[in-house]
Amino acid sequence: MRRTHRGMEHIISAGIDIGTSTTKLVISRFSLMNTAGASHVPRIEIINTEILYKSPIYRTPLSQGDEIDMPAVFALVRSEYAKAGIRENEIQTGAVIITGETATKRNAEEMVRRLSDEAGEFLVATAGPDLEGMIAAKGSGAYEHSKRTGRTVANIDIGGGTANIAVYQAGLFKGTCTLHIGGRLIEYAEKRISKLSRPVQLLLEKRKWDLSIGNASDSPIIGQVANAMAETLARILAGQVTAEDEPLLLGHPPNWDVAVEDIMFSGGVSECIYRLEPNDTGGTSASVYHDMGVQLAETLRTHPELTRWRWIHPLETVRATVLGAGTQTTEISGATIQVEHEVLPLKNLPVHRISFEYETENIQDKIMRAVEQALELYDPGREGRNFALYLSEVPHLRFHDVQHIAVSLHEALCRQPDQRQPIVVVTENDIAKVLGQSLQVIQQKRGILCIDQIRVENGDYLDIGRMLHSGVVPVVVKTLAFHS
Amino acid sequence: MDRQLIETVTRLVMEKLKDAESGQTNTVTESKSQQEKRHYGSVKVWNHVGEAQAPKSVEASVVSESSVSQAVPIVKQAAQQIKTEDAASKKPGISKPKNKEQLAELMKQTPARIGIGRAGLRPKTDAWLSFRFDHAAAVDAVYGTVSEDVLKRLNLFSVVTRVDNKQEYILRPDLGRRLSDEAKRTLKERCKHKPKVQIVVSDGLSSQAVEANVEDTYLALKQSLTALGIEMGTPFFVERGRVAVMDDIGEVLEPEVVVLLIGERPGLVSAESLSAYLCYKPRYGTVEAERMVISNIHTGGIPPVEAGAYLGNVVQKILRYEASGVSLVRKEQ
Repeated sequence: MRRTHRGMEHIISAGIDIGTSTTKLVISRFSLMNTAGASHVPRIEIINTEILYKSPIYRTPLSQGDEIDMPAVFALVRSEYAKAGIRENEIQTGAVIITGETATKRNAEEMVRRLSDEAGEFLVATAGPDLEGMIAAKGSGAYEHSKRTGRTVANIDIGGGTANIAVYQAGLFKGTCTLHIGGRLIEYAEKRISKLSRPVQLLLEKRKWDLSIGNASDSPIIGQVANAMAETLARILAGQVTAEDEPLLLGHPPNWDVAVEDIMFSGGVSECIYRLEPNDTGGTSASVYHDMGVQLAETLRTHPELTRWRWIHPLETVRATVLGAGTQTTEISGATIQVEHEVLPLKNLPVHRISFEYETENIQDKIMRAVEQALELYDPGREGRNFALYLSEVPHLRFHDVQHIAVSLHEALCRQPDQRQPIVVVTENDIAKVLGQSLQVIQQKRGILCIDQIRVENGDYLDIGRMLHSGVVPVVVKTLAFHS
Repeated sequence: MDRQLIETVTRLVMEKLKDAESGQTNTVTESKSQQEKRHYGSVKVWNHVGEAQAPKSVEASVVSESSVSQAVPIVKQAAQQIKTEDAASKKPGISKPKNKEQLAELMKQTPARIGIGRAGLRPKTDAWLSFRFDHAAAVDAVYGTVSEDVLKRLNLFSVVTRVDNKQEYILRPDLGRRLSDEAKRTLKERCKHKPKVQIVVSDGLSSQAVEANVEDTYLALKQSLTALGIEMGTPFFVERGRVAVMDDIGEVLEPEVVVLLIGERPGLVSAESLSAYLCYKPRYGTVEAERMVISNIHTGGIPPVEAGAYLGNVVQKILRYEASGVSLVRKEQ
């Protein structure tokens, strides 16, 4: 940990994206500084992000059958760290994300967990199509664009297996949708079709198109498939889903309630649209992928249905997700928090939300009920699996209210089976320090972790890193949904 | 704005007009207006013109009339205030904004009066009234006094500076920085000598800051210091004090650290903002660079409870480095 004068602190972050066709890595450096005035309580923020190293784009190593070649991935990460001149223990934050079809592999979960444990001090394992879309939108520049212009932007990250759409309006998140649209859904070998993915097979059945393995790779049906994908994408962007689109829909239908104005493409297929990458090393240019990616890109680029929206150039194409994972996932907690060093870092804590509905009444009941629910949800077998409580919609609290909350929390959490685990509380408002201190006065048996000014939702997972010199902790809020 | 408040003010004005017509004397108005005195958030309504006495006595009667002395109703009041503020801040005064979402987002970022619209060249009535309301609250905060109830609840006794009244307080900052001779005697008699930390409360330029925020800040600070095992002296209240009054206190009681919780000069965003000034061994001749401050302690700034909890750690740091202000920053590096 380096610290220079004027209170600037630097931390190193890594992002690793293991996608359907490609794997890549970025190393970046965050500068943290107190941005509050001298007479105010400190507020530590990430004021600058500098990319130190970008890896080349590698093919995702797959072993026989339905598995990721874990030793090969580890070797790749290690050699890239060496090239970047970084050691594992210098990585203080960041995220490993497993995206697209790769997340369906049998050992996907084990893969990211192990990588997050071994490839850095505090590297977070993430997965889930919605999160993928949001991270890509931040890496591609779509989020910034919406924030700067106030417009409604849909970022469409198309990789090998899936297209992850995330919609932002004036910098506010509006919704996501994931589609089976990607370059590797039809693969070729020696100018013949070698593989048809399940969604494409369903689409072919539904449309009664005849295409099978062994057919020529210039079959006009492939063009029709690409066309069908573009049409589905156009309908989804408009917020509609028809019966024709169902084979291509992964998970929930579009859930934004605003009209999209601008669109931006990122991901490997968008590289074939924009050609932003300088001549790639190691023969990874699009043509050697032997799949429908190039044709899909061309179809998207020229399809009349997609000209309804204004096209915005992305800042990153194929690296959008890895940049998002490396530079945009870490949040910094409030500066006045209560943290015991021994309990950190904490990983994969499910979050349960308690809403006070801006009232100081019935606080005890609300806490009791919420803890009961949390125990049922996250520790049904009473095996001692811990969770974080998130206090939201908190009214202005007097001192005795804080005491009351602390006592109620303590009483409710006494019912957790493993009392050696720390009490983890996250608050929306700036009250973590006083609440943590109050909890400490009531009981000294359990460790306490009380942090604030982090926004989370029910069902999110939380990773909390070690305390930095500035007295804050890095936090990553994420989902952990391995789609099957 | 509060409808009840508008009604009360309107009634007051109407009564005055009627009184003027029928040639009634001031005394009648006064007795009538006595019943109308009420708190509306941060503004007190009383008959400024008809009142023969100084606002101080009026306020004393306000407190005894309404039973706002318990902590519970204050909580409700504060909670409601926050809710209505939120609701109001979401409603821009511009009738057809070009980008509604972005305007709402911008308005959320600041308490400043942006996006309030206009009527011709002037502000809209709503915006103008709330501006006047906030200005009135600021004036009230300066001229008000801290109610005995708050001091009693916190078990603080009162001493005065060399200032005699509010007028002099404003005109003579130098007198607000010195304790009266009697005050010095009282402190010597009643306070623990040479404590580690001396906590002092003063009204400064906003009595409302003290009334609204001192209790929670003080209790949280006390809890924090107790948990850290830092010894506290006997706390007290200084009426009409200035920040540098801590030098006099330092001379008399010789504490290692003084924490002075004092009302800030009211602004148009909040008239209830409290500051905590901290200094390591303040004595005669202490320069301003040795003092440090945590300001903006109120419901819309750093919550009082959190500020108190944080102050404990600042005190701990001051004691560890045996320095405050600029010297502390130097020693820390």
